[in-house]
Amino acid sequence: MVAFDQVSKGYGSVRAVDGLSLALHPGETVALLGPNGAGKSTTLDLLLGLKNADSGTVRLFGAAPREALVAGRVGAMLQSGGLMDGVTVAELVRLAHDLHPRPYPVADVLARAGLTGIAGRKVDKLSGGQAQRVRFALATVGDSDLIVLDEPTTGMDVTARQAFWATMREQAGQGRTVLFATHYLEEADAAADRVLVLHRGRLLADGTAAEIKARAGVRRISFDLDGPADEDALRSLPCLTSADISGRTVRLQSADADATVHALYGLGLCPRNLEVAGLGLEQAFVALTAAEEARTS
Amino acid sequence: MRSLITLELLRALRNRKFLFFSVIYPSLLFLIIAGSADGAVVVDGSGLSVPTYMMVSMASFGALTAVLMGNSERIAKERESGWVRQLRLTPLPGRGYVLAKTASAAVVGLPSIVIVFVVAAAVKGVRLEAWQWLALTGAIWAGSLVFAALGVAIGYLAAGDAVRPVTMIVYFGLSLLGGLWMPTTTFPEWLRRIAAWLPTHAYAALGQAIEQSHAPHMKDLAILAVSFALFAGGAAWLYRKDTLKA
Repeated sequence: MVAFDQVSKGYGSVRAVDGLSLALHPGETVALLGPNGAGKSTTLDLLLGLKNADSGTVRLFGAAPREALVAGRVGAMLQSGGLMDGVTVAELVRLAHDLHPRPYPVADVLARAGLTGIAGRKVDKLSGGQAQRVRFALATVGDSDLIVLDEPTTGMDVTARQAFWATMREQAGQGRTVLFATHYLEEADAAADRVLVLHRGRLLADGTAAEIKARAGVRRISFDLDGPADEDALRSLPCLTSADISGRTVRLQSADADATVHALYGLGLCPRNLEVAGLGLEQAFVALTAAEEARTS
Repeated sequence: MRSLITLELLRALRNRKFLFFSVIYPSLLFLIIAGSADGAVVVDGSGLSVPTYMMVSMASFGALTAVLMGNSERIAKERESGWVRQLRLTPLPGRGYVLAKTASAAVVGLPSIVIVFVVAAAVKGVRLEAWQWLALTGAIWAGSLVFAALGVAIGYLAAGDAVRPVTMIVYFGLSLLGGLWMPTTTFPEWLRRIAAWLPTHAYAALGQAIEQSHAPHMKDLAILAVSFALFAGGAAWLYRKDTLKA
């Protein structure tokens, strides 16, 4: 339903998006993750037809992006999307309602975005988080098949953020595809079925949050020993990427935790409180992009 | 599209400063300029009394204010704030934004014309045939489209802090030199030659021809038509350029 085929877009000598190919499927919640300058915003602009690709094709529901927008199949909320000033929240939502071919009742849209209490307030008098909720209301004003969100929770406090994702899960539960760009890795981890890692305009990784973490490859192994540690033996365990031994407490990172733990028992040691854990998505993400930096430089 | 026009209009009606300058101000200016003039004094070469002559100038000025100011600053600001981008994510066709802006500005422009007429008739005793009142309203209102297009072009040309000075220079320059504030017959010869080619001069001349029960001069119609083509073409070109960039 969303298809990028070898899409490139540059500004001067910088290639913001470089030969990007990807496909999104109905009902997925997909996080677009990447450091600043990775090409997330450009990717969303291309997806929504706000920019034209230098080469390659972008198709939304088998048509050009603009056609999908006109058909009301896409609801989008951009970071750079401004709001009309001098009108009230309810009036602005009413406008979006009137423009959408399959709108929901205005009262429902306001309630879902948590705007009922401030429906009569002027748009230019809103806080950052409130304005963000208005953008969300505009993106979800009708029965769209795809919802695109660029850094949706910027400016929201923790409670608002949780409420936001609860609403988003409800949207996804109705069979919609949700694509969101975010800096908050824990959001990608918690909310997305699928994570796309973008780096320098290229797709670096594509999978579930767990797969991305595994692809970064590294797991954390920690345990305590009964007696003094034989540092040399521990450091010679297979597949280690780092070892931190302080007294009887040992913390290892391994590219293949199964092999390392197996060898650990082979040493005849009796580790206590053994824990094997994946890296957080944050660490996995840093590992992935750092590895890519190292490879390309 | 209609709901955007309604909302734009609502917003314009809430903006007291904009309403004052486009609806009330031209009438006040008319009273100041024509107020002391004797109804019997005739503007050189026109056969029209000062109030009759200035009524058309001020009505044209009012309509010009509404459409030029309404379009240029708003469009530049909303391009910057990202509202234009947000609207492009809706099914509204790209031109719809510009058309809605122009339509709502034109709706504000109409009372500005009519109020100048009412003040001129009531206070200065300007008397015309019924068809002349109607033709004047129609001609001045339709002619304001030329300047609506100019407003759109400026809105897409200038950005941020530049839009206000650019609008002001164009606005005052066209109004003053075009003879909307004082008859160009009071200008020195060289300035009068320049003024005769300005679209604002042709615009007011259209109304004055109706007051004189003349057919409008072909030259004035041609100036207005060429201006409209230039401004609208420029606006369309700048709009497309902006759309590709945004």
